Amino acid sequence: MSAEPPPRTRRSSSLPSGYLALAALALLVSCGGKEGSALERVRQAGVLRWGADAQGGEPYAMEDPEHPGQYRGFEVELADALGRELGVRAEFVQNDWSSLIPTLERGGSFDIAMNGVEITPARAGRVLLSRPYYLFSLRLMARRDDSSVTGLESLRGRRVGTLSNSQAWDLLLSSGAQAIPYEGVQEPYIDLEQGRLDAVLMDDIIAQRYGMTRPGLQVVGDVGEGYYAIAVRPGEEELRRALDEALDRIARSGELRALFRRWGIDGAAQQRMVEWTEAQTREVLAETRTTRLGWSQLVLFLQAALVTLLVSVGAMALAIPLGMALALGRLYGPRWLGGMTTAYVELLRGTPVLLQLYVLYFGLASVLRLDPLSAAILGLGLNYAAYEAEVYRAGILAVPKGQLEAALALGMSGPLALRRVVIPQAFRVALPGVTNDFIALLKDSSLVSVISVVELTKRMTITAVDVRSWLVPGALCAALYLGMSYPLSRLARRLEAKLERA
Amino acid sequence: MIEVRELTKRYADRTVLEGVSATFSKGEVVALLGPSGGGKSTLLRCLNGLESFDSGTVRVGEHSLEPGRARTAQLWSIRRRVGFVFQQWHLFAHRTALGNVIEAPVHVKGLSMKEATERARELLAKVGMSHREGAYPSEMSGGEQQRVAIARALAMEPEVLLMDEPTSALDPERVGELVALLERLRAEGLTMVTVTHEMRFAQALASRVLVLHGGHIIEEGAPAEVLSNPRHERTRAFLGLGQAA
Ligand SMILES: Nc1ncnc2c1ncn2[C@@H]1O[C@H](COP(=O)(O)OP(=O)(O)O)[C@@H](O)[C@H]1O
Ligand SMILES: [Mg+2]
Repeated sequence: MSAEPPPRTRRSSSLPSGYLALAALALLVSCGGKEGSALERVRQAGVLRWGADAQGGEPYAMEDPEHPGQYRGFEVELADALGRELGVRAEFVQNDWSSLIPTLERGGSFDIAMNGVEITPARAGRVLLSRPYYLFSLRLMARRDDSSVTGLESLRGRRVGTLSNSQAWDLLLSSGAQAIPYEGVQEPYIDLEQGRLDAVLMDDIIAQRYGMTRPGLQVVGDVGEGYYAIAVRPGEEELRRALDEALDRIARSGELRALFRRWGIDGAAQQRMVEWTEAQTREVLAETRTTRLGWSQLVLFLQAALVTLLVSVGAMALAIPLGMALALGRLYGPRWLGGMTTAYVELLRGTPVLLQLYVLYFGLASVLRLDPLSAAILGLGLNYAAYEAEVYRAGILAVPKGQLEAALALGMSGPLALRRVVIPQAFRVALPGVTNDFIALLKDSSLVSVISVVELTKRMTITAVDVRSWLVPGALCAALYLGMSYPLSRLARRLEAKLERA
Repeated sequence: MIEVRELTKRYADRTVLEGVSATFSKGEVVALLGPSGGGKSTLLRCLNGLESFDSGTVRVGEHSLEPGRARTAQLWSIRRRVGFVFQQWHLFAHRTALGNVIEAPVHVKGLSMKEATERARELLAKVGMSHREGAYPSEMSGGEQQRVAIARALAMEPEVLLMDEPTSALDPERVGELVALLERLRAEGLTMVTVTHEMRFAQALASRVLVLHGGHIIEEGAPAEVLSNPRHERTRAFLGLGQAA
């Protein structure tokens, strides 16, 4: 995680001796005093650790392709400048974007989060935010051949992709659009091109790099604006003030806009960042909101549970017959078919489902245009078929050979004997395994959130980030999973007991 | 009815049947005798195509089986005319006694459930198992399973009934009941071929016995004749063992 100092960090890694003396002094002071403030802690350590996500991080913060382990991006340069102002070295700490704020709050491995963190009422309500350092626009994009997307009003009820828990997310929900959450910045534009989305609403920096480069897409317009700010843990007021002052100096000296220019994200509007005042900071941070769990959230949870159930049942409905066909092919088919089914089983069991979902949904998008729900059901179904095949094969092998012979001796054809005699008995052996798999599938269905399906776990994380608590949404989520899996295992046990007699 | 010509069967490099020829005529009851490992079960299984063979022919009525993998259509028509009662019965474990008897008439012959059930009840009555029609195989004794297995085979109205060691798992008093049942079937004109170790059983039932040894038929004739005055010394040795058992 901790990087070798990236090229631009070198400057601050050789600290002026004055700062070192200051740091040593701070160390003495804090040892003598009561608990040191966050600022003192940073100064003592001589390092400002900042959390960001290097994945899809261009131009914010990304791994340098020529120097793996080093990072570049406009926020990397800003972090270095801030470190310099504070008299410490800046150190990049990798963290998933969607959990940056929760990790910061929990007292994680970094002091501040700086990665296109937007000022939203929800965030202002849970962490301290610095004065803004960048002014962004929310850019609406649609397909070039689709003239029906004209602005926010035209999005009502339509599928619009964005990052969850972002300003765009809030705006879409309040304007009645069906907001589809993504983890990455590239995937929504791919889906828009494929026709799986009607529009994408993202920050202009992202749109410029990832959306406007696609020939099939066009900018509809900018439908809002907002600010990036640095997030600091609640209570670390002193660190926040130091960052504010440092940002002020960096902005006023012209360094900030020079840095934006280098990264091609400067514009006349950024002059507002240079002339920014404390009063303005107070104003943009004035609106805070702490969302509480309410009935509306409960409804969303139940809807998401329904999606989980639909995906699981759908996938199982596919996995059972396909798994049976694979098992029969392997046991009774000609040699080539046996080889193929073995290869299928090994391939799908031996690679991550996540990878399979990505390949199916994004990788094959140009030849097989599946909507997210179908892709989720198909992907999990194809994967679980491999497991079912093995369960059924074991079940069939457990049926004594004499049963098949007795059926054949009565004049049954092979397929009829399998259907009437062997498979019903194999089912009895396989039932506990099938139940197990179905319960595992209920839980594995949470993986489909990577292809933008909002199922129970995804709903839980969105809400948890919103309401600043993982406990209640987590418990609710767990209760709903149990509410689905427990009756199922009871049912299976009853069925087993009934079959036991025969 | 059934005609076997020059039948040879090998497992890997072991020859289990070698040039076996035999004819089983309509209405005949034939007992297959011989020491263990002599090829009796294998011969029986070749007669309804449960086992493939390496050379020779098996003819059942107008249908015949050739060496190698048999054509399925031939196989099915033969199996519908030839009933088989396994040494271990192999009743369908997931079906009751009644369910076992109904299965093939409904799904192979296409009888209606009602008709098949009526016929199945008659057959269970005939083998003395009416009171156990709802029992699963795991709940039945060996003798009971065997009687259900016979009813199951008869439900397909076969012209020939093949039985592999039907007495091997029975108490002596149950053997008497089985003989009585099979005598009734013989009286109805059913052709039967049965593998057995029991001389008394063969004597009571068979019109002819074949002695199989080392893959060859070494003796053939009326039971009284073969059993009291065997020509082959192997038969003598075998009978000596058989009588001691
Ligand atoms: N599936 C098999 N594979 C190899 N050898 C077999 C197989 N079945 C039977 N045999 C052999 O064939 C010979 C004849 O067996 P079988 O017909 O069962 O004899 P019997 O019923 O007269 O005791 C025996 O030596 C037995 O070991
Ligand atoms: Mg045998």
